[in-house]
Amino acid sequence: MLRFILHRILWMIPTLLFISILSFIIIEAPPGDFMTTYVSRLREQGEDMGQVTIDGLRARYGLDQPIYVKYFKWIRGVVQGDFGQSLEWQRPVADLLRARLPWSILISLSSLLFVYLIAIPIGVYSATHLYSKLDYFFNLVGFIGLAIPNFLFALIMLWFIFQRTGNAAIGLFSREFLMAPWSFARVIDLFKHLWLPALVIGTAGTAGMIRIMRANLLDELSKAYVMVARAKGLSERKVLYKYPFRIALNPVVSTIGWTLPALFSGEVLVSIVLGIPTIAPIFLGSLMGQDMFLAGSIVFIMATLTVIGTLISDILLGWLDPRIRESI
Amino acid sequence: MENDKSLLKVEDLKTYFYSKEGTVKAVDGVNFSINRGETLGIAGESGCGKSVTAQSILRLTPKNGRIENGRILLRTDEKTVDLVSLKASGDEIRKIRGKKISIIFQEPMTSFSMVHTIGSQIIEVIRLHQGCTRKEARDRTLELLNMVGLSAEQAIDAYPFSLSGGMRQRAMIAMSLSCMPSLLIADEPTTAVDVTIQAQVLKLLRRIQKEKQMALIMITHDLAVLSELCDKVMIMYLGKDVEHAPTKELFSNPKHPYTKGLLNSVPKLHQGPRQKIEAIKGTVPSPYALPTGCSFHPRCPDFIPGLCDKEIPKLFDVDENHKVSCFLYQ
Repeated sequence: MLRFILHRILWMIPTLLFISILSFIIIEAPPGDFMTTYVSRLREQGEDMGQVTIDGLRARYGLDQPIYVKYFKWIRGVVQGDFGQSLEWQRPVADLLRARLPWSILISLSSLLFVYLIAIPIGVYSATHLYSKLDYFFNLVGFIGLAIPNFLFALIMLWFIFQRTGNAAIGLFSREFLMAPWSFARVIDLFKHLWLPALVIGTAGTAGMIRIMRANLLDELSKAYVMVARAKGLSERKVLYKYPFRIALNPVVSTIGWTLPALFSGEVLVSIVLGIPTIAPIFLGSLMGQDMFLAGSIVFIMATLTVIGTLISDILLGWLDPRIRESI
Repeated sequence: MENDKSLLKVEDLKTYFYSKEGTVKAVDGVNFSINRGETLGIAGESGCGKSVTAQSILRLTPKNGRIENGRILLRTDEKTVDLVSLKASGDEIRKIRGKKISIIFQEPMTSFSMVHTIGSQIIEVIRLHQGCTRKEARDRTLELLNMVGLSAEQAIDAYPFSLSGGMRQRAMIAMSLSCMPSLLIADEPTTAVDVTIQAQVLKLLRRIQKEKQMALIMITHDLAVLSELCDKVMIMYLGKDVEHAPTKELFSNPKHPYTKGLLNSVPKLHQGPRQKIEAIKGTVPSPYALPTGCSFHPRCPDFIPGLCDKEIPKLFDVDENHKVSCFLYQ
């Protein structure tokens, strides 16, 4: 098992390098660079900049160099922990990430937790009470959850909360805690705000996960070992949870790898609508402004998290299922 | 039944399945009994209700199946219980399952959970019914695995997927014997394993059954298995018991046209390579549209018009132990 984990961690290095090259190329693909967008924005505001100044800045930022030179400069920094300068924010990318990344991770993880806490029990109920009224009800709610766009759901929830309480449920803290130092009350306040983005971002995932859990468990319930377990004299509860449930969890666990990035991208619009200081809004801004070091770094970090998520789900799978453990 | 020494007595058992397509009368009035230490074979084509009969005894029928009629009387040391009257997932039937009556299914490949060790799955039954410590249960499991001819120390911590089909079926037998049940039901235990393993499994079952004086119900479509192993035989066709006889009598003097057909459809060793195998003509009718009268009449060579297609034959006595449900013997 240890060898497997080490092996997988070593493989992460070429994977990430490849992802970094690919994402850098894609970010560089649109015509023009940061200066083009910057200058055209200035022109819209009626200001202008001499061609000499533009070329000077371009040279200072290194934008006039060929793409592979830019890439190597950047990736050399990344390896040393320096993600370069954000052109638009005029600050080190690392600073920007440090301020926002924890919120992104917190929201993604709480959405993930929300997804599993809600979806697994409902999936189990639906499978064991197939075609019951509640099963149909959960199916209906699940399909609505799948079909409704996140940002629309966020807007509806905002309106609804405003109607009921008169408060705009925006951001992660109430005004009095916004700049306050960490305290117990501030954490409580955070949780009071956190549920809404977790709910909104997690809805589609929950609906999908209910379907997966229900289908897996239905498959397992019809297998011979379930009747064998029952024929031993075990209680229905034990028959369900010791055997088919354990095995039905496998595909659920293996989804952790791709659920994380899906939540990340689901978060973009929701964070903008709900005014949450995650990475998502600056990511969108960096792409529109062609702030390539910032954009590249964010893609790189998301990719790293995804690869780590996949590794975690592989380790969990190996732990859950001896067949996988022995084949590695 | 009070004065009679039978261990299990099934009377007019009817188990029906309900679905959108209609009702399937999987078991439609079956009667039999089995004594302590006796071996009963139940034979018939696929779909004749053999397995459902077995599942009904332990109340394991799937959700859409229901026992509509009949009694299943199990005599234990203290008293006689009617298993039909118990709740299907209640405490009482659960204390019988695995302890008084065990069952072996035909699929050794899927009968064990793949993510638990063989040992843990057997220890679980022992601890459930005998309330002993983990250590005692483990020792008992090692004993059982030895008894069925596995190298116990290795098998106990092995996962099912690392064992062959034959080894799994042995482990399954070990598990079913873990509480020394007074009745073991083997539902086609040799169908899914190859011929050499079949012989070993049957030998093992016979040895243990003799040693432990256990009653054994052997469900099979393999007539050779019947003649090897069973004291008496019940032949089923479309959910009904059509013939009961001691094994020797059944093979030497079959009465029901269906039984005769079954026996004739097996090639015989001493008749050489070019013998004609006589298949029973026609096919098993759809379970949703059973024929009127005797359900075998459309395929029967001795069909009596006006009688067999109108009335359902009851069991007629040929002699004391030989019963057949056919108007020819009225």
